[in-house]
Amino acid sequence: MSSPSIELEAQLIERTVAKRNETLLSAEETAKKILQAAERERERIKAESEKQILSIVSSELRAVRDRIIGKANLEGRRTLMSAREEVLSALYDEAMFRLEAIAEGRDTKIRYGEVLKKLLIEAISAIGGEEFIVSVNKRDYAFLKENLADIKEEMKEYVGDVIIRLDAKTIDAIGGVIIRNPEETKIYYNTLDARLLKARRKTESEVAKILGVI
Amino acid sequence: MERVLSIGERLQRLLEEAETESKRKIAEARRKADEMVARARDDAENRRIMAQRGDGIEDLIKTEEYKAKQEAARILEKYKERAEAVKNVPREKIEEAISFVLSEVLPK
Repeated sequence: MSSPSIELEAQLIERTVAKRNETLLSAEETAKKILQAAERERERIKAESEKQILSIVSSELRAVRDRIIGKANLEGRRTLMSAREEVLSALYDEAMFRLEAIAEGRDTKIRYGEVLKKLLIEAISAIGGEEFIVSVNKRDYAFLKENLADIKEEMKEYVGDVIIRLDAKTIDAIGGVIIRNPEETKIYYNTLDARLLKARRKTESEVAKILGVI
Repeated sequence: MERVLSIGERLQRLLEEAETESKRKIAEARRKADEMVARARDDAENRRIMAQRGDGIEDLIKTEEYKAKQEAARILEKYKERAEAVKNVPREKIEEAISFVLSEVLPK
């Protein structure tokens, strides 16, 4: 065989092998792209499926969330309300101690005798009439027994000349009076305790505002 | 010359074999791809049906519960902070409130 013929043969083999390799490589690339596209499609289907499932179960998930968050909000509000109640109760307790101090004469800024007289006038005016039975605590009983004549004189201007009888049976109160007519058809609770209770109902929201606990 | 021809035939066969192999590889890839996508579709459909029946959503519920519990803890913490702040009322405010209450209790 001549040398040009061998050279031709070698070139032919070389070109053919190159073409073969190129064909195989191209096929591999194509296969790879097909699998990559399939992988992307699989991920898309999976993501779409997750979205659909979330949409289907969203009401159930919302219910789970609402139950847990709702419970936390309720518990939190209770904690807050309890703290407010604690503060308000402490405040009204302190107000009661102040009233005790006034009634016992430990608070020198307020004359309790004057307070008692005003409570009497208020109660007598509310019931109306000419004769009254007054119940007070032990301390006020002693005070009124000694000063009732003077007080009646001072009260004349407001309630006229009235008959006031002191009930020997004393009451358990910080101070103030319970007044009734002799027939006991009318009764007026004007003790400091009762007034504080009434004031609490009336002032609680305003007090909460002052304290800044709303 | 005969030898060249013989080599030519063998090389042609080589190319044909490469072509066949390429087609096989591509077909195999397509088959795998189709299987992969079909399986994904089947899985998705099964999960959708299960979700509609309320089955197989335990993980989602657990995840939601976990997230909600974390949020609940934050909510409670905020309420506790507010409760603590409520308890720390300045003394002058307390005095003002007591004066207001006493003015309501004591007769004018």
